[in-house]
Amino acid sequence: MSGSKQRMREKKLSKQPASVQYTSSPFSSSQSGGSWNGMETPKSGHSSSSYGASPGGPSDRGGWVRGHQKDGGAYEEELPKFITAAAFAVARASEVQAMLKAVTKETGSCHVSGAIPNHMRRRAMSHNTKRLPCRLREVATRMREKGLKAGPKKKEQPKSKSRKARRRHGNLLLEFNRRQRKNVWLETHIWHAKRFHMLKKWGYCLGDRPTAKCYRACYRAMSHHCLLQDLSYYCCIELQGDEDKLLACLSQLTSKDTGPTFAAVLALSGRTQGSATVYRAGQYPSQPLGPVTFLWRPRTPGSSHRQLWIWAHPTLKQNLFPELQSVCQCREPVIPAVALVVTPAEPGPSASKPGPRQAKKSPGAKRKRSAGDGEAPPEKKIVGDGTRPPSAPVTWTSASTGIVINDLTMEVVRYRLIGPQSHTVLTEALEAATDCDALSQAQASPLWWPQHCKDQAQMTLHRQQAEVFQTLKGVCSTGEVPPGTVLGLNVEDPRLALPQKRTQALSVVSADQDIDETTRELMLRGVPEHCCQSSLWDRFVRDNVTDNKLSEQPTCGWVQSRRHRISQCVTPQEINRRKREVLVPGSRLRPTPPQSRVPVLMVQQPGKQVGQEMSGWGAGWDLLLPKGWGMAFWVPLVYRGVRIGGLKMSLKHSQNKGAPYFPHDFPDCPAGICFQGEQEAELLNKFKRRPPAKRTNYIKHGCLAPFRCPWQQLVEEWELITSEAPEVGSSSGGDEERRGQSGVDPGWRPRPATVVQSGFSVLRNRKSLKLLSNWCRPTTAKGQRSLRARDQAPLDAASGAALLAAHVRALAWVRLSLLSKGRPELHAQVCVATQEDLQRLGDKKEAYSGPLEHPHKDRFKNMVKGDKKGGKKGGKKGGKKASPVPKSSTTLPTPEAPDPHPDSPLALAACSLPAAAGQTSASPSCLPAPAEGPSSSSAASPANLVLGLWPEPLPSVTAHCSRVTLGWVTQGDFSLSAGCGEALGLVSLEGLVHTLMAQPAERRGLVLLRNPSALHYRWAKINLEA
Amino acid sequence: MVRVKSRYLLCEINISVPSNRLLLEDKPIFSAVKDAVASMHGDYGAAQCSIGFSVKYVNALTGIMLIRCPKSSYRLIWSALPFVTSVEHKGRKIPFFLNCLHVGVAGGGELHSGTIRTCQKFLVRYNTQQLHRMLPQCKTTDEKTHVRRAILSSSTKMLKGKEHKEERD
Repeated sequence: MSGSKQRMREKKLSKQPASVQYTSSPFSSSQSGGSWNGMETPKSGHSSSSYGASPGGPSDRGGWVRGHQKDGGAYEEELPKFITAAAFAVARASEVQAMLKAVTKETGSCHVSGAIPNHMRRRAMSHNTKRLPCRLREVATRMREKGLKAGPKKKEQPKSKSRKARRRHGNLLLEFNRRQRKNVWLETHIWHAKRFHMLKKWGYCLGDRPTAKCYRACYRAMSHHCLLQDLSYYCCIELQGDEDKLLACLSQLTSKDTGPTFAAVLALSGRTQGSATVYRAGQYPSQPLGPVTFLWRPRTPGSSHRQLWIWAHPTLKQNLFPELQSVCQCREPVIPAVALVVTPAEPGPSASKPGPRQAKKSPGAKRKRSAGDGEAPPEKKIVGDGTRPPSAPVTWTSASTGIVINDLTMEVVRYRLIGPQSHTVLTEALEAATDCDALSQAQASPLWWPQHCKDQAQMTLHRQQAEVFQTLKGVCSTGEVPPGTVLGLNVEDPRLALPQKRTQALSVVSADQDIDETTRELMLRGVPEHCCQSSLWDRFVRDNVTDNKLSEQPTCGWVQSRRHRISQCVTPQEINRRKREVLVPGSRLRPTPPQSRVPVLMVQQPGKQVGQEMSGWGAGWDLLLPKGWGMAFWVPLVYRGVRIGGLKMSLKHSQNKGAPYFPHDFPDCPAGICFQGEQEAELLNKFKRRPPAKRTNYIKHGCLAPFRCPWQQLVEEWELITSEAPEVGSSSGGDEERRGQSGVDPGWRPRPATVVQSGFSVLRNRKSLKLLSNWCRPTTAKGQRSLRARDQAPLDAASGAALLAAHVRALAWVRLSLLSKGRPELHAQVCVATQEDLQRLGDKKEAYSGPLEHPHKDRFKNMVKGDKKGGKKGGKKGGKKASPVPKSSTTLPTPEAPDPHPDSPLALAACSLPAAAGQTSASPSCLPAPAEGPSSSSAASPANLVLGLWPEPLPSVTAHCSRVTLGWVTQGDFSLSAGCGEALGLVSLEGLVHTLMAQPAERRGLVLLRNPSALHYRWAKINLEA
Repeated sequence: MVRVKSRYLLCEINISVPSNRLLLEDKPIFSAVKDAVASMHGDYGAAQCSIGFSVKYVNALTGIMLIRCPKSSYRLIWSALPFVTSVEHKGRKIPFFLNCLHVGVAGGGELHSGTIRTCQKFLVRYNTQQLHRMLPQCKTTDEKTHVRRAILSSSTKMLKGKEHKEERD
């Protein structure tokens, strides 16, 4: 009970009468002589009954004894022999008084408001006592006075400004600018923050998932209509220079083995967007950095000067940017002021300039600033990167190669529309820009569009682009356009044609309609090369458009660039004012103001390109805009009935598409390693937050590392397994042998401390992947045909060995789809099925859903609890040795020869311990791991132990369970597109090839999948697509 | 939240030897009642009244006591009350019997006492009534003045007036 409650209770009980009784004292028969009625007066006069002491006494002393008089309230030993009426009457009277006192007291809480029934209480009663009934008013006033006295000194007034003042536009902007100094806000931040769970990630504030329940609706939008995402956090790096020199520099970063590089013909022409995997310069196939997409600006006739945009994930950019700088030898930073001289208006980075000065202002500063107040220029809305100091260089040049590197992070807004109706949404929301009228063409204007209109060549290009854009309407699905198609366009401000209500953009064509010629042309050949040109590439145009945007809100910033604006008599809130004045609400605003033309780029994003089913799923368009125009395009797009997705939805998108997601699925890249570390810490933290009794005991489930994937250990162990079983390839039915050996060999051994973290790599060689992809398929009718058709090397020992020799310590990225029930989770184990499992699966009589893992014993439980280690562990060890070998049926008890691998540390350990060796020979399947486990773990102090988690160092990861581990799942979920559980994971290449070789041809590619918190293995099919 | 419901029994203690009256205490009475319930209703009854059963108030001078018992089993206790015949004091048995004055009976209108307050109110009424009855039976004038004074002091008005006096002091 808290202190206040206790006090309340005491107060309540103080009014209650206590028992009146003599304390227990030995009864003495001595007569009392003094008292006239024979009753004794208590010794202490204070607070004791004085009923019979004197005739005049009782009434004015209260006549009442309360409870046991523990201290000094003892009575005389003698008790009266008889009672007199007077004394009795007095006792009665005092009791009545006590009872009256108890009864007349108000019940319930001591607050005045508690004294009246619920339905009569009013909110303002504490404020205005006149609202209370008369009888309570006095008390209430007294309490209120008391409260007022204590009030002012307690109230600290944390916020000096009223809410109204805080929400005033200028102050709000100030607050927003302060808050985005640490993490960059996207332009749609406020919109997202109202509707999304926000995450601070990679230096940005990003929406993770909507607060509304719309997971399925978003999936439906992706597969049937359109899902919109803000991908502006992707970093754009601009490279300018001679084409040959650029390609020469960039070729060091990529390899042709992994697919098209920066020099791919279609991409180089600027017609399509390309994608590549970037490695550290000259380091292929080790040290990958990650995947990038890139966009070349179409060639300008007669010039070899090219412009290239490389789009990379923010975590990738940290590594990529220095690499690019060193490759291009661009070490000389250009001071921003020099670089930005060309732009007439204020450049982006300087937008955050007034920030610190404004922050110093006292909160009570006067609200309105006089117009001529030069000291404090009004704060501007931050457009672009607010965290970067204005003096930081964004441009680097090279004297030797002439290449210029520009960091365009947050300079270009990128929206992604996913879904078959994306083009419909775009064609409905956007409208090709109209020409300028002759009058404005004639006069010189600081705006870019009138000048653009003067150039006839530009205008013909614009008309052609507009035509192509119109033909887009005739396309049935976004996936029908050639992948990566780029279309440049100048559009009108979409706010001008904003519908009054949110509508659903619907396609005008249906699938059975025949397609006209121009549309077919577009679908087959894509956009003609010259139409890929856009003014968005031009820095001058970008800045001009950004600075001259018509504002919706009263920006204080317009004062600063007064020199442009006042000349055109454009007031703030122009758009809203004109909307109000329009005759038919919701109709288009005309005429178009001269500022309202924006150059944009549209890039088609290919959908699912791998696998046979659902091809083209998840295709969409990326919309590239100049910065500052984000919200102007966002809301009109939203009004066309799209769904908005966050980071989580983009993960699901790539999962359904069957594409690896950066950085989750790139464990060999620095960003991926970093991500894994973060994820482990996060999951461990989440795990530790649960009460110990409610935690999953992963040791019992035989899961060694539920929160991370020890890839390094996996590839090393598989290397060991294969190196010691060279004959495996030759024998077709060698699974048994291999299994038997694999159980023994990899055993636990301390990892060498010198191992580099990424001593493994993910297989990205296209040829090898294609080969492997064919091997993975079961050689039934369809697969066999494709095998023959492609004329690939069949799966045999020689080709397998060749593949493995080419890729040492490699992981293969695979897609797993479950055959029956089950929903794979993060870090589920991919395991090799034994012969027996496969036979049982083939058996028609029983529906075999997969084998079960026997529960393991948690030997660390006692150590966690911290009681005596030594004695218990010995017993436990013995018990463990016998217990975990129920799978002797699956493995042949091959007597272990001491010298097939004399150099193996395990064999040495086995020899040195006779007892262990004896045990090993009895059941060789997986003993070494448990036998070694406890002795190694004794090094780990109990303080580091967490109940249910294996302590470092881990025992053998491959041989820990009854089925040999191949790899782990990096993402897994029920796939709404496939209708079954689907997972993306990585497996050891060596393990995969050996497993495939050991499997019968018709059951090739079947593996077992087990979740970290389950004991049931489920059948899954490996799909490896290249 | 569910409220714990209870009943209160207001009993009068009748002791044949008046001098023993002052030996009354709550704990012996409590165990005496409990023993009676156990003997009448067995272990079941004893267990039923072990929760929430307590002697709230004992007045040794006037011989009034208040028992609180759970609403579900107050009948068990009530029915066992006549069988409470003696209370133990220092190893000595003091014979007495209980006379139930007021019981909370569900739906019993006036008698219903779900709270200790109704018992207290009843006790006030009962006591004043008893005092009024005593007055005509007084033999000496001295006694009469005492009883009269007691009646006066027990009236509500007197109480209030006295409180005011105290406050003024």
